[in-house]
Amino acid sequence: MKLLTHNMLTSHVKGVTKGYPLLIKATEVKVNEVEFNPQFVSRMIPKLEWSALVQAAEEDLPGELVADYETNEEFLKKVHRILLEVEVLEGCLQCPESGREFPISRGIPNMLLNEDEA
Amino acid sequence: MLERPLPDKTIWRSASVSVSGVNKQSKMAACYQPNEHVLTPKSSSNAVMAAQRSNGPSVRYYCTAGNGMEPFLAEEVKRKLAAEDVHQMSGKVLFSTSVSIDRVTELKAAERLFLLLKHDSPVRLSVHTNPAKAVSILQARLLGNRNQWTDAVMTWSRLQRELSDRRTHAKASSTSQTVKRTKEGGKGSEGQRKEEEKCNVVTGKPTEEQRGEESVTRRLRSVEGNGAQTVEKKRKSETSQKGETCGEAQALEKRIKRDNEDESSRDKDLWKQRTSEREQEDGDEEERRMVSFTQNVKEGIISETGLQCRGSTDAGVNVTTGINHHMESSSREIDGKAEDCAVEDMEHDKTQLDPSRIQLEMTCAVPVSFRVSCKCTGSLARYFSPQEVSKVIGVGLARSLGWKADLKNPQLEVNVYLSDDHCLMGIPLTRLPLANRSYIRTTGLRSTLAWAMASLAQIQPGFCVVDPMCGVGTILIEAAQEHKAACFLGMDVDDRQLQRASENIEFAELGCRIHLLKASSMVLPLANASVDAVICDLPFGRKFGTKTNMASNLPVIVTEMERILRVGGTLVILLSPQLSCLLKKLLAQKDTDPTSFQKTTPHNLPPPLSSLKHQANLRVSLGAIDGLIHKYVKIDA
Repeated sequence: MKLLTHNMLTSHVKGVTKGYPLLIKATEVKVNEVEFNPQFVSRMIPKLEWSALVQAAEEDLPGELVADYETNEEFLKKVHRILLEVEVLEGCLQCPESGREFPISRGIPNMLLNEDEA
Repeated sequence: MLERPLPDKTIWRSASVSVSGVNKQSKMAACYQPNEHVLTPKSSSNAVMAAQRSNGPSVRYYCTAGNGMEPFLAEEVKRKLAAEDVHQMSGKVLFSTSVSIDRVTELKAAERLFLLLKHDSPVRLSVHTNPAKAVSILQARLLGNRNQWTDAVMTWSRLQRELSDRRTHAKASSTSQTVKRTKEGGKGSEGQRKEEEKCNVVTGKPTEEQRGEESVTRRLRSVEGNGAQTVEKKRKSETSQKGETCGEAQALEKRIKRDNEDESSRDKDLWKQRTSEREQEDGDEEERRMVSFTQNVKEGIISETGLQCRGSTDAGVNVTTGINHHMESSSREIDGKAEDCAVEDMEHDKTQLDPSRIQLEMTCAVPVSFRVSCKCTGSLARYFSPQEVSKVIGVGLARSLGWKADLKNPQLEVNVYLSDDHCLMGIPLTRLPLANRSYIRTTGLRSTLAWAMASLAQIQPGFCVVDPMCGVGTILIEAAQEHKAACFLGMDVDDRQLQRASENIEFAELGCRIHLLKASSMVLPLANASVDAVICDLPFGRKFGTKTNMASNLPVIVTEMERILRVGGTLVILLSPQLSCLLKKLLAQKDTDPTSFQKTTPHNLPPPLSSLKHQANLRVSLGAIDGLIHKYVKIDA
């Protein structure tokens, strides 16, 4: 699971009003080398929940987006690395409200809910 | 009514010289903003190469297309190939373009690609025509112009050479891709054959040796690892590879069996040395070379010494069905070896095999071996069976041009379509349909359809596109190939499907932009209004989930799709005719009884399905059955 994906994931356990952002509990993380595409990264940034990314990244990211991030290559590279290169292979995602854990296996998070949770 | 799927962002110039450069750029411009050049080094080098090649003369082609796909194809050829004289008919689109053939073979909405030989008014026979007269009329109409045939064959062989050359370059610049792809066998059609460089050795420059060596080790590993599996897969029709290779390899198999006795060691040496040659040759010569090459190669692999130049082998080499994937890998292997082998005879080889000589041979009526494949409909079918028409043409060609009919392994195939509306003849340019993608390993939905659906979604750079029932990921991959600045999310409940999707994505090298989740389309783990497009092929009436079926879940599924879409986002779904009717009813119903779905939806929302504005319905053929593509746009409810 890449952090770009994590940024979108929401828990819909029954009764939960704000199942976002999910807490990452990683047991196996891999960092891949992914070709840096500045245009792609700068296109993705406005779609992100920035604070959730900062929280998930455990890295040195500014609390708020810098003003002219599109041209700041160093910044874009950092974001690129966090969004696309870091991959959680094993672990789980925890719903902040209900505590329900969604397992991540082989890089794919399992967001299926049981019948009583949906 | 079909809305024109894509806004016209390209500026096509009619001047032929600079068009190819413009084409490549414009092609990308059509997918995203004009100042957006999202190129990976691989594709940029291809773009550079494309730009450097000037366009040739205008060639007239036609492509077959699945029912319902014709408008997509017509639009695609205009947009990507600056096609002129685009003529759309049932199941086919005819067009002329001067863009290079390798770009033409990248068409996504087409099934098969043909060089047009003749497109004429229909052959009409009056009721009272006697059989002999009918035959002569047919012959005159179809075979009349001898030059038309020889010209067509020249064009065809030129195009084949271009295809080979380009593929060699592509191979040289994308070794790693080739390595992966050669793990697969592929569909091959029996008895069809095309001189194809992929089975030739690929090298010519010293630097390739380095790459060759690198890929050799990778290749050996993959060959060993996947040997049995690959052969097995080859037999199934699930895998695909760039058309020519697999079909070629299978046909080679046959030729090898046939020609084993003809083997001569002199030819073997010649082949070994002839490593940089990728010329199209006259049939028999080529066959013998292929045979010797194969045998050398097989020996090479079995010995696993990797970098030795093997000597002559015995003619009794047992050719197995695994040869086809060995072929691909062996060509790479020989890369490294070949440079060590004698290069001195290269010059000699070159003169022997240069294109002008081949063309000369062609015009001097060196027998071209061919086969005719014919379809007859309408009134003509009353006079002739397809076999009879084939025979008439076959005999005619043999007589007037000295061509040799060969049903098993022809160099050339002639396709004839005779109907009440027209008479159409062409020569296939690729062995396998263009619809067989080299970048997809396990197929699901037919890729032409997947591509068409993605094109309907009007994906822009920066879009987030979701497929809530992605299966093996065909739609996501087709969309991601076309739209390189968007990101894609696929979900499925089935582990096996997700596994295959994951493999497909890795195979296509799209792992950075396509991500997968295990999730249910009934409860999507995404926030409201968080995605730009949803594209989905809904299962057709199969058992869906453990207890319920598709029809009863449809309202919930579509509601979820609507929920996650932002205002202005598009929804493109493929449904069975039954589900299509059901959905139409549901959407009509919401106007009259909006509260009826509230119980079933898991979230507190405004009346479901009320903000989906219907845009288009398209009927497409899925082979045995039809499907319907629905397109909606989310509006402010």
